[in-house]
Amino acid sequence: MEPGGSSGVGSVNSGTYTPEIAESLRFEEEIQSLIDPSFDASSAAGGSFTALLGLPANQAVELLHHPGPGEPPASAASSSPIAGDLWRLRLVEQHAVTDTLRLPFGCSSTFPSDAALVERAARFSVFATDDSPASSSGGGLSPELKAEPPDSHSPPTLPVPAEKPRRPSKRKECEKSKAKAVAKKSKSAEENTSAAKPAAEENTSGDKLPYVHVRARRGQATDSHSLAERARREKINARMKLLQELVPGCSKITGTALVLDEIINHVQSLQRQVEFLSMKLAAVNPRIDFSGLDHILSAECGPLAMGSGCGGGASDPATWASETAASTGGIRRMPPPQQIWHLDLVHPQQSSTVWENNGAAHPHFLLSPATSLVGYDPASSVPLNSNQLKTEL
Amino acid sequence: MDSKGSACSNPNPNPTFGPSKLMLAFRFLRALSIVHRTTPASSPTCRGRRIERAAYASMAYSAGTSRAWSRAVLRRLHHRARRRAVAPRRLSTTAGNRAEALRRLVPGGAGMDYCTLLEETADYTKCLSMQVELMQGIVDSASSNGR
Repeated sequence: MEPGGSSGVGSVNSGTYTPEIAESLRFEEEIQSLIDPSFDASSAAGGSFTALLGLPANQAVELLHHPGPGEPPASAASSSPIAGDLWRLRLVEQHAVTDTLRLPFGCSSTFPSDAALVERAARFSVFATDDSPASSSGGGLSPELKAEPPDSHSPPTLPVPAEKPRRPSKRKECEKSKAKAVAKKSKSAEENTSAAKPAAEENTSGDKLPYVHVRARRGQATDSHSLAERARREKINARMKLLQELVPGCSKITGTALVLDEIINHVQSLQRQVEFLSMKLAAVNPRIDFSGLDHILSAECGPLAMGSGCGGGASDPATWASETAASTGGIRRMPPPQQIWHLDLVHPQQSSTVWENNGAAHPHFLLSPATSLVGYDPASSVPLNSNQLKTEL
Repeated sequence: MDSKGSACSNPNPNPTFGPSKLMLAFRFLRALSIVHRTTPASSPTCRGRRIERAAYASMAYSAGTSRAWSRAVLRRLHHRARRRAVAPRRLSTTAGNRAEALRRLVPGGAGMDYCTLLEETADYTKCLSMQVELMQGIVDSASSNGR
């Protein structure tokens, strides 16, 4: 009857999974037609497995409960691998011709009226892809699922097993909206193990970091694994956004891979700039006096920083700046900058004496070993930092 | 030095962003002057390398030890200083995995999880850009004043 059940299974491997209810209906109809030759496919249109169950309830039970037809257990299939079920359903189809559907069902599963199994069967309704009625709807659906990027498994923390129990409840919503990459990823990862795995399962982002903003959906994430996963994912997304704002020109780039590339390029360019500028500074001995320092700092920080910060750090640059001024021979330039600092210094009257006193202190202050050039920071305006510095040294 | 002690009661003068530009400038300029004094003029490349190390050191000190990258930078500097080894050029080849490339770029990135790596990259990028601005400003003012 089937033109090769195994070939149908083979086609399953090459197709995509189509969790559409219509698929499940076709599958059900097909099965039903196999099971009950007198079954009219059109009459089961719009029905579900419940309809299937309604019609040949006894027969279905008998078929599937080979050893003993009891009442159909409703929740059998969720734990057992569904592939096994449907393999055997395939066998059912094959044997339908020859046998009275004597089904070597190891598991005591049947067609439960649970929607979960409906969806799972629908997933594997790609069995029916070689049938024209099924394949038409399958073909219509598979493109949208093929559009989803494959799960690359590169985020190793994606808890595939942990997401299994969430899948059935999410399936219906997935069928309605397409951008549920997480659920589909997990399903595809699950189906990897099963024979009916559709090969082309793509991620929506299509790169190494398949993180999609997945809204919290109903019935989702009752276990700690997925909760932690989602929290981690959102943290990562928040940090990526921060990075995007930092790096110029990154906010218009879409896709995490390109953004990361841009960030890497930016950091590399910054490091190269530091190297280049340090070489340049080595060649040019900057005659840094206070006028130069003033200019640099005002260009960067603005006047506010000068006013507030110089009170704290004034004495420090005063010491070494006077040193540099002396070394460059620009001692005469000291008095005018002195006045600038005087406006800001807390104790202006002490400043000159301060500098005289510190003139003696210069040698041992500035002759810190070249290895720890900035190790000694006496005027660090953050006392905590200075303590940390000491511990660092 | 009591004047210095009494004057340093001011916390971060720029509360808008974490690492202080002013402190960075002070540290770096001081280090720069030291390097220019101590290294002979015959070895500009050696001086350049020292200045680069001074730049990273001042960056790391300004960022504080609360950051993993600054700790890694200081660790690297102190170890290098002890062993007197030449700093290897860390070229980031285009790795297949971008996270690995990022780990190679950001100091201390090897031992971090991805989430922390992104955070550290952000902070490191901020500090690096500040340092570059500062150095550019120095070069500009030096070239404009000296010439």
